[in-house]
Amino acid sequence: MMGYILKRLLLFIPTLFVISLLAFIISVKAPGDPVEILSGSASVQGGSTQHGVSKSQKDSIRLRLGLDKPLFYFSMTSSIECDTLYKIQDKKHREVVQRLTYRCGDWQLVSNWYRELKDSYEWWSALEEADFKAEKDSIALEVQNAIDWKNTGNAIFLTMLNSYEPKVIYAQLDSLQLLAGKVPGNLLKTRLDNLDRFWDEMYYSSPGFSFWIPSFHWYGSDNQYHRWLSRLLIHGDFGYSYVDKEPISEKIWKKFFISFKLIFLSVLIAYLLSIPLGVHAASKRGKLSERISSLFVFMLYSLPNFFVGMILLYLFANPDFVVWFPESGYMDPNNYDPNWNFLQRWSAELPYMILPLITYTYSSFAFISRILRAGMLDTLQQDYVRTARAKGIQEHNVLWKHALRNSLLPLITMFVNIFPMAIGGSVIIETIFTYPGMGLASYEAIHNYDYPGIVAIFTLSGFLTMSGYLVADILYAFADPRITYNRK
Amino acid sequence: MIFRKRNRADEETRYSFGRDTWKQFRRNRPAYISFYVLLFMLFIGMFASFLANDQPLYASYRGKTFYPAFAEHWIGKSVFGAEGVDSVQHPVTGNWERIQYDIADWRALELGAVIWPLIPFSSSTQDILNRDFVSPDDEHFRRNEKGEVITATGKFRHRMGTDVLGRDVLAGIIHGTKISLLVGIVSMSIALLIGLLLGSLAGFFGDHRIRLSRIRLFLLVPGLLLAWFYAFVLRGYTISDAFGESTGSGFVQLLLSILLFVLILMMIIYGGKFLEFGFFAKQVFLPVDSLISRGIEIFNSMPKLLLIITISAVIEERSIWLLMLIIGLSSWTEIARFVRAEMLKVRELEYVQAARSMGLSEWRIIVKHALPNAMAPVFIYVAFGIASAILVESGLSFLNIGVPDDVVTWGSMLNVGRTEPEAWWMIVYPGLAIFITVTVYNLIGEGLRDALDPRLRK
Repeated sequence: MMGYILKRLLLFIPTLFVISLLAFIISVKAPGDPVEILSGSASVQGGSTQHGVSKSQKDSIRLRLGLDKPLFYFSMTSSIECDTLYKIQDKKHREVVQRLTYRCGDWQLVSNWYRELKDSYEWWSALEEADFKAEKDSIALEVQNAIDWKNTGNAIFLTMLNSYEPKVIYAQLDSLQLLAGKVPGNLLKTRLDNLDRFWDEMYYSSPGFSFWIPSFHWYGSDNQYHRWLSRLLIHGDFGYSYVDKEPISEKIWKKFFISFKLIFLSVLIAYLLSIPLGVHAASKRGKLSERISSLFVFMLYSLPNFFVGMILLYLFANPDFVVWFPESGYMDPNNYDPNWNFLQRWSAELPYMILPLITYTYSSFAFISRILRAGMLDTLQQDYVRTARAKGIQEHNVLWKHALRNSLLPLITMFVNIFPMAIGGSVIIETIFTYPGMGLASYEAIHNYDYPGIVAIFTLSGFLTMSGYLVADILYAFADPRITYNRK
Repeated sequence: MIFRKRNRADEETRYSFGRDTWKQFRRNRPAYISFYVLLFMLFIGMFASFLANDQPLYASYRGKTFYPAFAEHWIGKSVFGAEGVDSVQHPVTGNWERIQYDIADWRALELGAVIWPLIPFSSSTQDILNRDFVSPDDEHFRRNEKGEVITATGKFRHRMGTDVLGRDVLAGIIHGTKISLLVGIVSMSIALLIGLLLGSLAGFFGDHRIRLSRIRLFLLVPGLLLAWFYAFVLRGYTISDAFGESTGSGFVQLLLSILLFVLILMMIIYGGKFLEFGFFAKQVFLPVDSLISRGIEIFNSMPKLLLIITISAVIEERSIWLLMLIIGLSSWTEIARFVRAEMLKVRELEYVQAARSMGLSEWRIIVKHALPNAMAPVFIYVAFGIASAILVESGLSFLNIGVPDDVVTWGSMLNVGRTEPEAWWMIVYPGLAIFITVTVYNLIGEGLRDALDPRLRK
């Protein structure tokens, strides 16, 4: 037995690795630049790049998130690519530089172009009106002109930094040429000449054979994934929410317990209800009462839970109908008292829990009783049941003592399926009833583009599902002495 | 006569597995009825745009005939030669009028003769006169040819009411049928493909059938890395650009990459032949079964629904096809597990041994002899799988995740109905549609299971 548990625990490691890797890939590939979002200068939806926050502030966020490190333990890139690409800070720029490198085949040329462009942009946006004036002595300069020039130039540089299409770049270079003609003196001319030269060098070179040669870089443990995983495993740290910029782990555990209470209760009720029903169905096979109850259970099984939830809301929490239960929420904040004892708190929460509980329970109830009925029918045909009957044991005892015990075994494995189902299903049910658990949290995270939140919930539920499987397997071995996991 | 008329007595004595199963299946009344309900829904889904459309099926206008409803359909292009745009000349003034089918307001034109579809609304057309949740029993309005607002009667009533934007609910239900059937069939085809492949690999070959030289086993590691590099690293931007262009071309590029991946991997492993000497030449077993079984276990420990939700939330380009792919990719494990178990049994049977002794290749034995024997029960899983895929899709569109905003599905209609507690028709009709579809698939699955179960044979 211990050997088996150990083996299961060993399988935990690759599973956790895959789940965490998946979660990490999702968080990296998610749209938007975390630094821009956390510093508040851009939202995920719109890619606004207004520089409202100072560079040093962004750098500190970047350092805090460890974004200056390589992504993974190793990387496979084309040999023409620079192996320190991850040092470019902006996510979009990184993509542009990589695409340009693939196109022209020489990392050095791209680097020249990118550096020059970035320097020019920084230099241009740091220029002040006085700088324009100093170059121009004879004609009085209108302040408005200087601001216009600056804005146009900024826009041009930004577009060029964020694009890799030759068409766009050429158009922007042309408009820069125009601007350079307007701006007094040689302010822009030298920069423009450099840019032109670098672009042409880059544009007219093409990737040679070396593009097809892969190069392998080993970065060691100083990478983002390692950092993310070790923080998660050691401190339970899931990073920062994009919405309120606070650590996620504190909130998520509270939400988890709210959800867990509901899920656990519903699974318990479902088991308690479905066992008598399953036994009844099997013993009265073919009779009218059994056929009706089977049909009913089957219909329940096919009903989508969001439909049931909305019908319940429409019937029992509708001002036009009857308001037996509150429509949404978890408890009434107005009369909540933190000093309540266990019972008082439960009685305050109960009305809020009933509708979600029904919605949670009915589908797993239908599921379990169907499985149990099939299992019972199977067991009732076995020889030992016939023997028990032949011995003159009461039918009641045959059903409940002899047959049920063996039919209960698949129910333990069912627990494994129901538990993750409930976690996943909680998204829909908690959204309908606005029940503030993990499901609602993930719904809100998705609609607010809070990717660290989504990833945290995914990882946590993956972990829970895994644990559920382990518990069920162990229980299974305890319940059925015929099962040994040690021998293959 | 070319066709030989079948003799009834002949038919009764002839036995085939399929015919027998069908006979058993027919005994199960609910399943048998469900089968015909499904056929009916398939009909609705296939002809959705001819059953509910705000463009007429046939219209004559100023001496010219149009088939606007067919224009967007492949039938329209091939049979009627419709391009979606046409011009007509005014008989009196001689002015040319350009009619773009999908923009033109056909109801406002003075049509000579017209045949409207059964429901003269599209799922996405916004009826300005009947917006803000008009109940099926309320008075409905429409504009006649002269532009006056009159009470709508007969065909032009919204028989199942409208939603907040004035979109017809019945048209939405019909369009949703198409989407639901597509989601079920496409996603389960993907799951079936993967499940059959991996399941039969694991079950048929087991841990001790595939022998490799050590060098080939070692070459797998760099081989995987290299194949990944050429297929996905170098082509990464090609794939993402193609997906940005359209989902279809994205899929094509993705498939090309997968093909390239397999090709490179095979090339490298075959290349190992030239390095087979000494220590490296020793033959070892590749534990396919263990690898795939562990893979299934790992995959099963993931919260499926949350995985689907997470992935479809992260993808920027929302598309119903991508959703089908994601659902399909996450539901193959049941099928794979079942096929594996079935293949473990089948590979020991005498007829497979006989096939092997006759020198047939392993692949031929799997595809031609072993798989067909395991296929029939797989369809039970497919039926249940389609039911749950439809549930997942409608759940996602109910949450407004992963499904584009302009696609009307049953789930998204329920979602709209959530905002207005008065509008019972926005809850009941789509909800019932989902319920009926899921029940039908479940009943068919159940019926198949009973029909294939030798213990329940009559």
